Amino acid sequence: MLSLAPKADVGPIETALVSVAGVQKTYFTRQAPIQAVASASVDVARGEFVSLLGPSGCGKSTLLMMIAGLERPTAGSIMLAGAPVAAPRRDIGIIFQDATLLPWKSALENVLFPVRILKLPIEAYRERAHELLKMVGLAGFEHKKPGELSGGMRQRVAICRALIHDPEILLMDEPFSALDAITRDQMNVALSEILETYRKTVIFVTHSIREAAFLSDRVVVMGGRPSTIILDKAMPFPRPRRFEIEETPEFTEICRELRLTIEAAHGHGQPASGGTGSGKLAGAGASNIE
Amino acid sequence: MAKATIGTETGAILPASGASRFRDGAGLSRFLLPLGLALVVLGAWQFYVTVSQIPSVILPSPVSIARYIAARYDILLMHAIPTTLESAAGFLLALLLGVAIAILITYSTMAREALYPNLIFFQLIPKIALAPLFIIWLGVGSQSRIAFSVFIAFFPVVIATAAGLLSVDRGMLRLCRSLTATEWQVFTHVRFPMALPHIFSGMKIAITLAIIGVIIGEFITAQAGLGYLIIFATARADTEVSMAAIVVLCICGLLLYGLVALAETIANRFYSADSR
Ligand SMILES: Nc1ncnc2c1ncn2[C@@H]1O[C@H](COP(=O)(O)OP(=O)(O)OP(=O)(O)O)[C@@H](O)[C@H]1O
Ligand SMILES: [Mg+2]
Repeated sequence: MLSLAPKADVGPIETALVSVAGVQKTYFTRQAPIQAVASASVDVARGEFVSLLGPSGCGKSTLLMMIAGLERPTAGSIMLAGAPVAAPRRDIGIIFQDATLLPWKSALENVLFPVRILKLPIEAYRERAHELLKMVGLAGFEHKKPGELSGGMRQRVAICRALIHDPEILLMDEPFSALDAITRDQMNVALSEILETYRKTVIFVTHSIREAAFLSDRVVVMGGRPSTIILDKAMPFPRPRRFEIEETPEFTEICRELRLTIEAAHGHGQPASGGTGSGKLAGAGASNIE
Repeated sequence: MAKATIGTETGAILPASGASRFRDGAGLSRFLLPLGLALVVLGAWQFYVTVSQIPSVILPSPVSIARYIAARYDILLMHAIPTTLESAAGFLLALLLGVAIAILITYSTMAREALYPNLIFFQLIPKIALAPLFIIWLGVGSQSRIAFSVFIAFFPVVIATAAGLLSVDRGMLRLCRSLTATEWQVFTHVRFPMALPHIFSGMKIAITLAIIGVIIGEFITAQAGLGYLIIFATARADTEVSMAAIVVLCICGLLLYGLVALAETIANRFYSADSR
């Protein structure tokens, strides 16, 4: 379980590990209820990397939080390895937009945080924590505190933290959107390298078409008013992925198709409605898709 | 008297900023400068008293005060001990009570809604006005002074601790929830360490208030203690003794404040965002 060897047992695609069927989510706020997701159905196979792409406010985070068991769907079902998701589970690792590290703990101790919370034997995981940090290029930074690390380094610590207890599923909510373009490209390559070593089932939320296309096996586009899944497309690029694929005409063509799909659903610069009474979404719309 | 008040205040502030300055390694001048200024002021005071021949009932000179302290340290110490112990007791109880109320406020919406406005209202009462009531309720013993000391010192602890416990990043709480952390784990691993700097700033205010509470109590009731000595000596126009008592009070305050600052330094070893 603690072995760092690539998992050879991830065979051809079996039945879906994550199964989202007819999920709808309405937030009942003090004002009008907000329909964040009108209807979403996605299946994610074991070992698959699926991106959720769409304009701001289209319910990507909401869907991800429901898969994590942090929010309840208003209707529909979410199954994880055949069992309905009712509450957060320990076989999921989550990475948010901000690294959310404990500022008084070293990088190493932050990586070990889930081990402490889950009451697993610390000593058994210490070695693994070191190896994970080395893997993301943070060897020598184990004892630095978050305040002494750059944004990209902090996010890498967060990735190690999500992987430490070897969860089956990795949920990532715009993990790199706070980073500059150069760091972000580096992180994308680093992430795909990590996933070559530790095969995980990943659901990855992003605003960035290029990022989604580069990382994913499948890109799921969310959008429309009210928000649904408007496209589910396989990315045909070979693995391991390197920067070069971004220069192929194939890649450009796919990005164009994704962009046109989003634009067709929203028009230029019009907000993605979260349902009734959500016209005040700041800066939302297809125009913020990179 | 005005001079003495200023003395208490600077005495209360110096150790903490001094300690952090040493950590910052910002050179000795930072430390020497305030010390130098204090010496200049004392020198001017001494000079003025000597030249103007002002009667010592009105203003004794620093040297004569120092001489009195050196000669009668036994009497001063006898009075300093109950004041210091009662202040420490008042402070510790205020800390416990303050943190407990803050935890209640953090975790129970009902407690928050019921308590908070009342606490604020209480803050608006000039609390010193209530000191005589404590004597009526609790008698003239040390319990009434300690109770009054708790009464004036606990509020800043409540406010600071509650602010700290509630300041926790929502993302961090979501992460804990996703890891199926219990409420207790969230408290011990995240909320409490996150609130520690707040708690310590509340404690630093509380320790000075706790001393004030005890002194006021001693003004009213006591047969011992520095507050009693100050009132007693002043009534007999023994200004020198009164001022000597004030100096000793400053030292006691400094000592107690220093202990809080020391506790903070120790906590920082584990919970500081800076590297050791
Ligand atoms: N806790 C909540 N309470 C009420 N409404 C919410 C809540 N969370 C999200 N919403 C609403 O649901 C809709 C979808 O939000 P969500 O955060 O899922 O969008 P998103 O696609 O992740 O957007 P972004 O790309 O900006 O992160 C928005 O209209 C938002 O206002
Ligand atoms: Mg989001």
